[in-house]
Amino acid sequence: MDVTGIVCEAAQAVLGLALAPGVVGLIRRVKARLQNRRGAPVWQPYAELRKLFGKDMVVSPNASWVFRAAPFVVFGSTLVVYLLVPAFITPLPLNAAADLFALVYLLLLGTFALALGGLDPGSAFGGMGSSREMTIAALSEPAIALAMLSLALGAGSTNLGEIAARTIANPLAALSAGHVFAFAALFIVMLAETGRLPVDNPATHLELTMIHEAMTLEYSGPCLALIEWASWLKLTVFFTLAANLFLPWGLATSLTPAGLAIAAVTTVAKLGVLAVAVAVIETRIAKLRLFRVPELLAVSFVLGLLAVTSSFSVR
Amino acid sequence: MTGLSPTLFWLMVAGYVTAASGLLMPTARLTRITGAIGAIAGGAAGLSLACATLWTGESLTLAAPGMIQAAGGLALHLDRLGAIFLAIISGVAIPVGLYGGAYSASYEGRYSTRWMALNVGAFLISMSLVTAAASAFTFVLCWELMALSSFFLVITEHEREESVSAALWYLAMTHAGLLALLAAFYLLGSGGADGSFAALRAGAAQLPPGTRHAIFLLALAGFGSKAGIVPLHVWLPRAHPAAPSHVSALMSAVMVKLGIYGLLRVGLDLLGGGPAWWGTVVILCGAVTALTGVLYALVEDDLKRLLAYSTIENIGLVLLGVGAGFLFRSLGQPEAATLAFAAALLHAVNHAAFKGALFLSAGSILHATGTRDMNRLGGLVTRAPWTAAVFLVSAMSIAALPPLNGFVSEWLLFQAFLSGVAHSQASIAGLLTIGVGALALTGGLAAATFVKAFGISCLAIPRSPEAEHAHESPRLMRAGMLLMAAYCPLLAVFTIPVLATIIGALAEVPGLPAVPAAFHAGLTLHTSNGVAAMSPVAIMAVLAGTLVIVWMFVRVIAGRPARIGDTWGCGRIGQTPRMEYTSSAFAEPLRRVFSQLYRPAADTAVGVARPESPYYIQSMAYRTQLHPWFQRAIYEPLIAAVERAAAWTRRLQSGSVNAYVGYIVLALVVLLIVVMGF
Amino acid sequence: MDDVFAQVSVLGASGVLIFAIVVLWRHGVMAYISAFRWQSNVLAALTAAVAYFGHDRDLYWVAALMVVVKGVAIPRLLTRLARRVATSREAEPFVNTATSLVLAGLLILLAHAAARPLLEMSSAPTRAAIPLAIGLLFVSLFVIVSRKKAITQVIGFLMLENAIALLAVLATYGVPLVVELGVFLDAMMGFLVMQIFVYDIHDTFDTVDVDALNRLKH
Repeated sequence: MDVTGIVCEAAQAVLGLALAPGVVGLIRRVKARLQNRRGAPVWQPYAELRKLFGKDMVVSPNASWVFRAAPFVVFGSTLVVYLLVPAFITPLPLNAAADLFALVYLLLLGTFALALGGLDPGSAFGGMGSSREMTIAALSEPAIALAMLSLALGAGSTNLGEIAARTIANPLAALSAGHVFAFAALFIVMLAETGRLPVDNPATHLELTMIHEAMTLEYSGPCLALIEWASWLKLTVFFTLAANLFLPWGLATSLTPAGLAIAAVTTVAKLGVLAVAVAVIETRIAKLRLFRVPELLAVSFVLGLLAVTSSFSVR
Repeated sequence: MTGLSPTLFWLMVAGYVTAASGLLMPTARLTRITGAIGAIAGGAAGLSLACATLWTGESLTLAAPGMIQAAGGLALHLDRLGAIFLAIISGVAIPVGLYGGAYSASYEGRYSTRWMALNVGAFLISMSLVTAAASAFTFVLCWELMALSSFFLVITEHEREESVSAALWYLAMTHAGLLALLAAFYLLGSGGADGSFAALRAGAAQLPPGTRHAIFLLALAGFGSKAGIVPLHVWLPRAHPAAPSHVSALMSAVMVKLGIYGLLRVGLDLLGGGPAWWGTVVILCGAVTALTGVLYALVEDDLKRLLAYSTIENIGLVLLGVGAGFLFRSLGQPEAATLAFAAALLHAVNHAAFKGALFLSAGSILHATGTRDMNRLGGLVTRAPWTAAVFLVSAMSIAALPPLNGFVSEWLLFQAFLSGVAHSQASIAGLLTIGVGALALTGGLAAATFVKAFGISCLAIPRSPEAEHAHESPRLMRAGMLLMAAYCPLLAVFTIPVLATIIGALAEVPGLPAVPAAFHAGLTLHTSNGVAAMSPVAIMAVLAGTLVIVWMFVRVIAGRPARIGDTWGCGRIGQTPRMEYTSSAFAEPLRRVFSQLYRPAADTAVGVARPESPYYIQSMAYRTQLHPWFQRAIYEPLIAAVERAAAWTRRLQSGSVNAYVGYIVLALVVLLIVVMGF
Repeated sequence: MDDVFAQVSVLGASGVLIFAIVVLWRHGVMAYISAFRWQSNVLAALTAAVAYFGHDRDLYWVAALMVVVKGVAIPRLLTRLARRVATSREAEPFVNTATSLVLAGLLILLAHAAARPLLEMSSAPTRAAIPLAIGLLFVSLFVIVSRKKAITQVIGFLMLENAIALLAVLATYGVPLVVELGVFLDAMMGFLVMQIFVYDIHDTFDTVDVDALNRLKH
């Protein structure tokens, strides 16, 4: 990887980190408006980050180095995932490592670290959050795997650059049943993995209804800022995957200023559309009981299965 | 190089014999020292021998036709396939030897460490010879020696009822497997071939198809019970926890792989592959084994039994790869077959590394606290930091988290299945899709299991006085654990050479071409349907770089020291260990989701203050128990039937001397009649 | 053009199958009725699409009939029935929800394997969607077998009708108009008879749980 490559990746990282709080701010604002409230401005999450970085950290006496290291591992792994996703340009300089399977398991690394961080202070809420989070993560794996399988079957490889390239080259394939169902399965899994309704309410204050929030209950100050930013970045990663693997038009295939400008505008637009869609869904649907979530994940598994089988008969 | 192999071989034998000679040492300390040195020396020699065979391709052949002439004598031939497994055995033997040098000290005075040393030496040597066996007789002899020495090791703590029962189960099941193996070898040789593998291989082509199918199924049953296929696995969760921890590491990391070796040797090498249903059966067995293993690991509270069930799960994953390999080969997709077998073997190698490390750290925890029950552990990350660090690294590997080695072999398995789905017709593709689903679910559940195992055992507050007074292990144990744990990132970084070696070994088998794999700075695999690229080194580098940058960034912006404050408790006054999550609580949501598979028996006992009124409750006890379905459905009826048959034959033992003499006379008369008849 | 036709037929058939999956997922009778209504509408739209691409005018009438009968009339009758027998939730089914969803997935895989001979025989552009129709058949049968409330079983039967109609549309671009009308009449008759039975069961046992029918044994 040469200097241009490093600059590109660094720029992508900075852009992603800059966009992520805005995406979440937009979701919150649209939800507020739909619920007939005024809502905080779209840049509220940036202000939250700034506030948290300025605060002191309070650490439990029972916590060990695992507790202090977990936020860095979560943030680092999510950032590495964002570096591998075709957000603005394709193929990326790091395309040799941009494998869809690797992506999913890097996100699992973040979940693993956060779950351990939730268990470390020894509180019952942290244990509960870790237990529920690992349940949901474990049960969404088959659905992700089948959606990945169907995308890889279509493109002949699990490499992200290849998948995007094949869809760009073959526009009609974007509307095939396999794509539609893989998108649906991935959408449901995204709602589960990023802790949005109907799986988890990101704005809840009741500990017994928390999943993600319960794991991060003990964190404060800069560590909490890292964790929150990482979870927003994870949402942006899923949005970018959904947008640029299934509807990759607008991605820059070469490093021209015009191409990059178009790519920036189209990606931001796609993120905006997905953010509004998620906000509408969150307003329409009530939160599911914890033991109804596996049923939802089973539906996404069947959708993934339909996506894979739709490629069987086309031979 | 040619001259070196026999020297290395005899060095290896000498090392293990030295380890066994601990039996004859005058003091316990000398026994430990010879045991450790012997195992390390033997392991190093074995590893060098295996590497020499793998890299130069020259196989070692030794024959001793004079020994036990009636059965054709002993014959050894170490080819590349066997060398992979020899490398696993020897690689694990070195850290185990280091570790055992200090660990066996805890058995002194109560149990005989001399016999333990003898049996460990015998165990290591018999396993190494199994991989080099070149005739049916040698194979079965070494196999049985391996079974017997491990039986004696399992029953080391013979005063504990649990160990005795576990050892008896193990003995019964390993001999049942041996029967199946003997039948398989008998059928293989029924074409008139003598016992040597070369003759069997040549003669197998002429065997009728029915015999070939029977041989495969018998081999699957026999080797499968050693490897731990469900439902023949019941001895594993009993025997592995009961054995001393370094022996558990050997059994779990190494011995179960020999079951896989046997299946590959008989099915792939001697029989030369078969119809598609062989692969289908193995894939289905693998999927069931993997899911059962991980589901029962999830709900276990005993740390070593959790690790034993996790071994079963990983063997299931290896079998998924092996089955896919058989299937692709029979369908005429040789490149996909090589990929599948390579993935399975890579996973076997990786599993040996992280499971060995897990068992060694579990042994260290047992040594430090005296208990294996996770509900009584906790807080070990501050009290035994090295143990906890080893546990964490190996837990991350087994949960298939990048960039460690477990992730690479899961990725490769997925790629193998993907290339199969892309090129097969609907029914096969459907089966492979189920395989992918099982693979993914197993991976997710394994991650949850090891969050539980590490989180509950090592993090938070100690849940019992034993855990509170835990201490770190002695230096030698620490060295052994760290060496074993170091294998994990090393295997991840050096995946390319290891994979190339494995593929080279598979290329020796007829019908499996080498997959054209171009290895650059990362790992670029050209599969027949496109380019799949993955680079553990790149991910490691980028991850490390990102972590460093982020850490420096946070230090610059917000580098204030942290304040210490009590854990948030919703207004409670103090924090006791009883307020923490327990291991059964952690697994509860998943247990509910899969309750139709587990069928737990729950029991609530309510004690009331006054018998007349049920509302004044004084005490409540909730007990729940998981009785595995295979136990209920298969083994209990079988054991009951055997007991009934035994009770019936007991009638012959009437206790009367007249009856016994009468039996002798009867036998004599019958014999005379028969002889007169001819 | 053929490519687009094939895509549309697979998409439509998958949509029809999705609503059967929704019946396995949701828990309320009203949700089942609304899923059935949507399924019939999507099936009608698919029939109209096949009419357009396959240049068969009769299918337009079939589509219209489907909307009227299965999209409007039968759901209305079902809603009235459900309100009368006052059941709002499905009782604990024989197989729990997640397991039934996984089993439905396996049945769809089985359908793909079983439909291979049909695929090889047919040369229509819609043949890629035939396994999905067979999958719908299996899933509807599974709904009938695994649910306890009589109303849910009636809905399963109606979905079975939909599956057969879907198979007919995909495999042979529908059957002659007269046969279609006959099949509709048959379905309506069957439905009315079942409706009467459900009212009867409710009046006798005060529940529509078919487990209660065991009491008729002695």
